[in-house]
This record gives sequence, C-alpha cells and structure tokens, in this order.
Amino acid sequence: MMLQLAGALYALTLGVAEPAPAESMVVFADAIYTSTGDVIENGAVTITDGKITAITPGETPGDGDLHVGAITAGMVDLSAHMLGYESVEQSSEITPQLRAEHAIDWFGVAWQRQASSGVTTVLVSPSDRNVIGGLSVAVKTAGQPSLEQRAVKRDACLRGAMGSEPSSGNHPAFGRPTDFYSRRPTTRMGVEWEWRKSFFDAAQGRADGAEPTAQAAGLLEVLDAKRPLFIQTWATQDIRTAVFFKEEMATEGFGEINLILDAAAEAWREPELLVRSKTAIVLPPFPDSGRTRDNAFMALSTAKQLVDLGVPVALSSHGAGQHRDRLGMQGALARRGGMSLEEALQAVTITPAKMIGIDDRVGSIEVGKDADLALWNGEPFQATSRVVGTVVDGELIVDPR
Amino acid sequence: MILSTITAAALVFAFAAEDSSGAETATPTPATTASPTGTATPTTKAEELTLSLQPINAERAVAFKADRLYLGDGKHIDDGIVLVQDGVIHKVGSDVQIPEGVSVIELKGMLSPGLIASHGYEGLGGESTDSTRAVLPEADISIAFKPSHLDFAASLEAGVTSIVLAPSTSMLVPGTTAVVKTAGGKIVRRPAQLQVVLSGDALSYNRFPTSHAGAMAELDRLFSEPEGQIARAVSGNLPVLIAVNDRADIARATDFAGRYRLRGALYGSLWAEDVIDLIAGSGLGVVCDPFDVGDDGRSMRSVVALANRGVRLGFGLDAPGRSPENLRFGAALCVREGLDPKLALKAMCGDAAAIAGVERRVGRLERGLDADLVLWSGDPTELTSSVLAVYIDGKLVHGGGE
Repeated sequence: MMLQLAGALYALTLGVAEPAPAESMVVFADAIYTSTGDVIENGAVTITDGKITAITPGETPGDGDLHVGAITAGMVDLSAHMLGYESVEQSSEITPQLRAEHAIDWFGVAWQRQASSGVTTVLVSPSDRNVIGGLSVAVKTAGQPSLEQRAVKRDACLRGAMGSEPSSGNHPAFGRPTDFYSRRPTTRMGVEWEWRKSFFDAAQGRADGAEPTAQAAGLLEVLDAKRPLFIQTWATQDIRTAVFFKEEMATEGFGEINLILDAAAEAWREPELLVRSKTAIVLPPFPDSGRTRDNAFMALSTAKQLVDLGVPVALSSHGAGQHRDRLGMQGALARRGGMSLEEALQAVTITPAKMIGIDDRVGSIEVGKDADLALWNGEPFQATSRVVGTVVDGELIVDPR
Repeated sequence: MILSTITAAALVFAFAAEDSSGAETATPTPATTASPTGTATPTTKAEELTLSLQPINAERAVAFKADRLYLGDGKHIDDGIVLVQDGVIHKVGSDVQIPEGVSVIELKGMLSPGLIASHGYEGLGGESTDSTRAVLPEADISIAFKPSHLDFAASLEAGVTSIVLAPSTSMLVPGTTAVVKTAGGKIVRRPAQLQVVLSGDALSYNRFPTSHAGAMAELDRLFSEPEGQIARAVSGNLPVLIAVNDRADIARATDFAGRYRLRGALYGSLWAEDVIDLIAGSGLGVVCDPFDVGDDGRSMRSVVALANRGVRLGFGLDAPGRSPENLRFGAALCVREGLDPKLALKAMCGDAAAIAGVERRVGRLERGLDADLVLWSGDPTELTSSVLAVYIDGKLVHGGGE
C-alpha cells in the first residue's frame, strides 16, 4: 500500500504516468455492418487500446452499456476541405513538392462537422487553384491537432485539377497585372498544357540522366505508381482529358499512372473510357438541380450506374458545408438512386480507403483495424436514421447517450 | 592516434567558431565597463574558485545595499547586499562582508536584475527586413542598430537593460537575433537565436512563398541540408525563435521543431491555452506577444496556462512600436489574471535570459553575471512601483538623483 503510494507520488513528481492499463470499451448494436459483406445481428464490437479486438454476435447489452441501432465503420471522405487561409502557392502553377498537411486548419469548424456525422478519416488535398497543387494527406477527424497523432497516410496521393478552377481568376478584373493572380493558365487548354509539359519535362529529364528537381521528382513518383494521381475533373471534357493524359503517359513509355478522378460528376457519360483505363471515381455531393460546377450534370442514379460497370466509386462531402452534403446523407441519396445498402456503405467506407491504400487500417469493421466507428440510431442511410455517435481510435468522440 | 588528433583539432576549431560568433566580438565596449572576466563567465569550478579567491580591489568595487533583492530566478532576499567589482557581480546575500574601503551605496527601495525584453526592434530605425526575399538566415540584426538611438533611453526609463533585437517577422527565415544592452551599446550575444516565421506574416502575395505549404516545403529544403546559421540551429548550437500567430501555426511549429530536433522558443502566446499539450510536449519555451489595453482575456489566460505547465516564458515588447513600459504592463495584466508575480518577474529576468541563451551573462543577481540592476520603489510587477535608478555593468545610467 505504502509502496504503491510512493510509486504514485514518484510518477507524479516526475510527470511520467505509469504504464496505463489497457483501455477497453464495448459497443452493442442491433446490427453491425462490417463493410466486408457481413451484417451481424445483435452483436458487439470490443475495442482495446484504439483497435478493434473482437466482433461477437448474439450479445445482449446490460443496463448502462453503450447500445445503438447500428454500427458501421467510420466513414472515409476523400474530398474534404480542411485548409486554412493562405493555402495557395501562387508563385508557380506546378507544385507537386508541396504538402497540404502543412496548410491544414486543425481548428476549423469542419472537423467537428465531419466527426459528428460519422466521418473518421478525411483526405486533405491542396487547393485546386494550382494545376498540380501537391501532396494530399489522410488524417483522422479527431485527436490531438498534430500530424504525428492524426495522420493515417502522409503523401497519400498527388493532387491536381484538370478543369476550369486553376484557370479561372488568373486575369486581374481590370488594369495591369500586379501580382501572381495575373498568372497562367487562363484556359482549359492552358491547364492541360501545363500538365503535359511538366510531365514530359520530368520524364525527358530522367531519360537524359539528369538529377530530378524537387518538382520533377514529385511527378516521377506518380509515373512510377508510388502513389495515385488524384485529379479534379467535373465535366466530361475534363474527364476525357485526364484519361487521355494517363494513356498518353503510358503510350510514351513514361509510366502507368494510377488514376482517381475527383468530383467527376459526368463520369457516367464516359463508361467505356473509365473501364478501359481502370480509373476510380470520387463523386461530388449530389446536386440539388442536377448541375454542378462547369455545368456538369449528375443524377441520383450516377453512383449506381458506375458501380454496375465495375468502376470503383466513392461518395464525398466536399467539406460537408451543407447538412445535406454530409457523407451519411450522400449514402442515403445514392440508395435512392438505386444502390443497395452494401454498395452505398462500401462507397463511403472501404472503397475510398482502398483507393488511397489505407484499407489496412480503416474502412471496415475487422479485428486488428483502427477502432473508427459510426454509431447510428437505425439502419444506415434510411430517412429516419442518422449518426448519433462516433468513435475515433477507440475514443468516444461523440457519445450517443 | 592521428584520428584522435584530428578530432581534437576539429573540436577546438568548432569551439573557436562557436566562440567567435558568440559574445562580444567587435563590441564597442566603453573602457569604464570593461570586465576583468572578459567574455567568459565562470562556467567551471576552477574559474569560479579563481573569482572567489580574487581579492576585492576596493577602488574598483562597490556595494549596493537595498531593502529587498529580487534575484531574477523567482526568489528574493530582504535587506540584501550586491557586491560588484568592475561591473560584474561578485557576491549577493544578506550577510555579505563588505571589504574595507569599498564604497557602499545605500539604496531606498528594491533591487532587481535589469529587465529583458524578449523581442524588440529598438534602434533599428525601422530597417529590420529585406522585403525582396523570404530567406536570409545570415542576416545579423546586431549590425543594424544604433546604440545612441533614443529608443534605448526610453527602455532605460522602463527598467529594461537588455533587449533581444530581432529581424522583422515578415520573412520566412529573416535572420538572427542579438541580445544588446540599452546603454553603452554592448552586444551581449550575437547571433542569439535563428528566427523562423511560421505565421502568415511570412507569406506574401508577390514572392514565393504565398502559402503555408510552400513555406514548409522551403523550410524542409533548407533544414534537411542545412548550411550556416541553419546548420548551427539543426546541430543544437543556436536556439530558434519561431514566430506563430494562431493555433494551426503552433501545431506546425511544434511539428517542425520536433522533426529537426530544434531547441528554443515560440514567439506568440495568444492561442497557447488551446494547444497547451502540444507546447508543453515540445520542450520549447514561449515568448509572449506584447499586451495592450483591452486585449482579449485569452491572451493572459494563455500565459497563466503556460506557466502552470512549467513552460519557460519571456515577454516580447516590440518597441518602438510600443512603449517600453508595455513590458511590465503586460506582466501585470497576466498577474491580474492569475500568474504568480514571482514567475512574471522571472519571465522578464532569468527566464528571458535563458531563452536568449545569455543566462550566464545577465538576468539574475548571481556571482559572475553583469551588474545590470534596477532600483524600484516597490514590487516590479506592481504597476504602482516606479523605476528610481538603473545601473548597467555597475554604472548608473538612469535616475538615481534626488
């Protein structure tokens, strides 16, 4: 007893905690949707030290136990907007060496929005004001505000934009150019030229045996398929341009790019191209009117159409600024458009996780994976269902009780 | 054998290099304040012994008697004596034997070490930045100040005897800071810290970088293959002072400092309360933002939170944009919000010196340190107390008259 007390005092004085006992938690549910095709009725998920350690069927919760209608894996949002101010590097259009992780606003309201809507991992990408903005980072939506604590995968993919976003606003409204805002490119053709020129220069430089610049190195890593290339393409012409670009790189013998298209609202218009090029698709939030940016049209059935073709499809929130854009609601809209529950579930969990190679840690409920869970009050994606609780790394971030 | 000789030679060289860029090179020291110990303060037992055995020369020594001595480390002694010879403190205590013939100055009031402002632009005439570029780590702020500038007289009136002069925060790596005295033009240490700016202040609309990601890519490039002052910072020979504004800046800064194992301090305390674990875990000290009337209570609460977690603190001042009186004023505001007055004074004395790497020169009343003293009418952290006299290197430089 005295010894224990002395030990505690010693730990206190030194400011070091004794090895903490294993933190354990059990969540009971009427149904557990694992994202692996299984649904476990009346089950429980056991969490120890931030990992899922057991999934047991036929468990009955006792009084005071944490019990919800349904459990799914924490959702994964590949198109989250989590950057602070001053996140555009205007001094160049091609900045593959920059990392969005350094521009993250850890204290924005979007984190709370995402976590409380059951999203536990987001991919934070550079802004699309640059043609090639830089490297994206996959991070958890809750925990200490530091990369070390929150990053699931750094340099997860290279982000760029093919459409009108990097070219818009580059002219001053009037008068003479005075700063970087009057920079190139100013058209789609200019954007596409920047892509091809930078990649050709990088590949040519390597062929000539030159030491790659930081910029070239970032592009070569994509050509070597070290990480996927994640391109924003809303409209059909941009989707086509991106795929043609990928195919041109292969034809030239520069490399085989692993391509993911973000915000590809009109992907449904080019089914053959997507299947042929094995391109993965991230859809923007379903629009109210059918029209998205650049007048690209998509319908509630778009996700279903693509998944039926065998194209990997992920839904996204684009920052979850509007309530209806949140990922759980997107799943509901996709179901309305014809997706099965399992298809909609995978489109917000394991499919996006696989796209950027973090499915070893997140995206499904399996023993050994991170304890990231969305807790629902009923069957996911039903009109009456919503996320009532969230667990990130075993921590109950939002308590449903 | 040859190898060890070379290693030894290299060590000596490294030491010499460190020393040459250290204290008092090209210092316009007035003859009257020349110290017998030169640049060196007693760092070894032997040196300390030599100093203690050194006979007091009554003509060059002086004893200050005061009602109370604030030692600069949070402690105080009532009815104490500071025995000074050649501008250097020889002995401090309540029972110091004053040798025969040493003149005694009986002071009515309380004596503290001279206050240290942990960030300032005095005497620079506004020329503290090179706006055409983002990175100039070799810029040495100590070559830019004019010792006779009136800014320094104002500092003396506020009891400030040393200032950490800093290049402006509008560049990514604007250069190095220097610790200078507010009278006599003495440079205590240069370079003192390498300043790095992770706040939005370093970003510009018309030169690289314009973004935080661009800034960090540039810093990674510079720090992963370091040269010059950056190499000294990476090897631990030069502390860093990382300017931050908001919480995201602090998260970036602690991450950055951890990645390159940098030691030093953050400059910017406004949001510290919210990210206290990051700061406390980083081992970095914090130089607080200057305070103004009407500041949000958060500013002061952050300082209290930092102090409670044992984070080493200093107070920035950024005069001449602000009155030097703001230094003590800011500390008093923090005391009002719950900061221990002893810690407040320590942050303006011993801790400020430690953050700037001059704790063996100034900031405390201790044997071997410069006799920079301020006589107060009362507790220095009380705003009702006023400065009665200021001594630098044992010499009266302000007040003292009847």
